[in-house]
Amino acid sequence: MKDKKKDDRAAVSTFADHEVIVPPNKLKKAVQKIKPGEKIPFDPVERAEAALAELAADFSVWMNQECARLDAARHAVKASGVTAGNRDVLFRAAHDIKGQAATFGYPLVAPVADSLCRLIEHTPEVARLPLRLVDQHVDAVRAIVHKNTRGDVGKYASELAQKLRQVTDEFLLRENRDRPDTLETILGPSLVP
Amino acid sequence: MVRIDFNRLRFLVIDDNAHMRRILRTLLHGFGTREVYEAEDGAAGLEAFTHYSPDIVITDWAMPIFDGLELTQMIRQPGANNNPHVPIIMLTGHSEKKRVIAARDAGVTEFLAKPISAKALYQRVLNVVANPRPFIRTRSYFGPDRRRNANPNYVGPERRKGGKADIIQQQPLLEKAGVTGPGR
Repeated sequence: MKDKKKDDRAAVSTFADHEVIVPPNKLKKAVQKIKPGEKIPFDPVERAEAALAELAADFSVWMNQECARLDAARHAVKASGVTAGNRDVLFRAAHDIKGQAATFGYPLVAPVADSLCRLIEHTPEVARLPLRLVDQHVDAVRAIVHKNTRGDVGKYASELAQKLRQVTDEFLLRENRDRPDTLETILGPSLVP
Repeated sequence: MVRIDFNRLRFLVIDDNAHMRRILRTLLHGFGTREVYEAEDGAAGLEAFTHYSPDIVITDWAMPIFDGLELTQMIRQPGANNNPHVPIIMLTGHSEKKRVIAARDAGVTEFLAKPISAKALYQRVLNVVANPRPFIRTRSYFGPDRRRNANPNYVGPERRKGGKADIIQQQPLLEKAGVTGPGR
């Protein structure tokens, strides 16, 4: 049911309550078919991994910078009281650590940062954010980063993360007991590992 | 089998975290891309999008000013820019079901949860380049087809009405108003 089609224009099919649009494929230029037996000049994934490995020498410095940023955000919240603005800064600092810790070689830090993100995001009222629990999360992140090279850090870090997550979840379930949508989100599984 | 010539693709990376931008730039250069532009928040990202006309946008979600979700909604507004169909890869630490659905409903093409890996990023780029999806426009959505596969065994209600649209010819407003002027 094509109404119009030109090389440089989208093909639009119109239905009762929707349109299906096939835009011109501008990225076709980048697709190269490989013939059977043809040699590929390089494996892009391997080359990207090698390039990333060259950056690895900086990762411990970067991780310490992220920790310092989280620490500063925590102190700002404690110094002037929680506001929507400094809470968001704290959240973004924790969220960045959650997403980057494994890449930087600190996978044990990610669950603690994740727990802190949940605490900040799902505490329904800004003024009710439990600063002592925030402190415990930030201190745990810094301690695990600091002790990352110690052999027994894995066991202690996992136990610490589990305990913080447990206390956080208990707090959030209490705070959100009258908010079924939030409870569903809190209790729902992550879609990715 | 296909391979991607990254040298022919222009990327825009939008992330407020300088370390993550550096990692993305490194991975993309490793794939073979030469043109990687960066922006550090949604507002700067929108400006860079207009200025550089990237082939693919990779954006973070949580950013100051306006976030990656709002940026996606702005890019997907038909008529707002030259390329509302641009592939958008949302790279984020968010991984809850509710978030993934919100990103999909805003018009994100691919969702990639951190921590990032070269393989996962390559796979998302391969998907948007080699297997582009059509776009769907409804009263409440404009973006890539949210149905990645047709399920022949689906038995639930059909949400899209398949019949051809009733097209009602509208008289141009100027004619309707009987406006006349030079050349009319």
